[in-house]
Amino acid sequence: MTAYGRPDHGGGPRVLTEFSLPSEPGNERRVADDVAGAVESLGLAPDRMERLKTAVAEATMNAMEHGNGYRPEVPVVVEVISSGRELLIRITDLGGSPVPVPDPEVPDLSAKLEGLQTPRGWGLFLIQNMVDEMNITGDRDHHTVELVMHLEEGSKGGEDASQVSGS
Amino acid sequence: MPAKYLEAEVRREAGVAVIELRGEIDAFAEEALAVAYEEAEAGNPETILLDFEGVDYINSTGIALIVGLLAKARAAKKRLVACNLSDHYVEIFNITRLSDFMGVYPDRISALSEASTP
Repeated sequence: MTAYGRPDHGGGPRVLTEFSLPSEPGNERRVADDVAGAVESLGLAPDRMERLKTAVAEATMNAMEHGNGYRPEVPVVVEVISSGRELLIRITDLGGSPVPVPDPEVPDLSAKLEGLQTPRGWGLFLIQNMVDEMNITGDRDHHTVELVMHLEEGSKGGEDASQVSGS
Repeated sequence: MPAKYLEAEVRREAGVAVIELRGEIDAFAEEALAVAYEEAEAGNPETILLDFEGVDYINSTGIALIVGLLAKARAAKKRLVACNLSDHYVEIFNITRLSDFMGVYPDRISALSEASTP
């Protein structure tokens, strides 16, 4: 788990954007695109940007579907934070259902093809494979999925951190 | 961003049923995919090719739909193959192991060439 209140290399966490959207099917792509726009200046490599967008879309879909039951009046709240070495995206639902726990088992495609498992169940698996870290927290009123991407040496976020550290 | 509902058109090339896909493969794509697959299968081809050239988004529900098509194809002893996936979705096909069960080709020419090989 990342400690957010702690300054990182002299530079504290910086909120790049924060917004909320109604829980309506299709809004996950809007969230992914808005997050991508907010982190554009950090210079993520294109393949990592694609992974981030997929993870954000999947986490948003889970929040809208499992957390908020696709009730449009219940929003999904998105925070995008840069802490110099890490990019954090927190996606919070307000639905009050049990906190989704990641399945420790890798989805078994062979079993799915033989009808022994449902074809579904890829969401959390995809998220876990797309980002460097995923944390789930919550209580009876809300759940937050936190996606963490380590900012690479070559990314502007990493360079910013080095400059702050060396100053 | 308005959703780009999936459009699927079936063509026959070199004995292969090609399903040309355009749009997004998500929960809204279920009916279009099912109808196109049924049409493709009607000609009793040995191979059905999913051409993803016009697809810019596949989510976990879309992956599940593709798993469903693959299960149908395997049950009918047909080959289901894919082409024109972006690098990102090739990675997702690798992570999910879909690429272990269906040939993934960079373009339609290579997919058709392979499909015509016994």
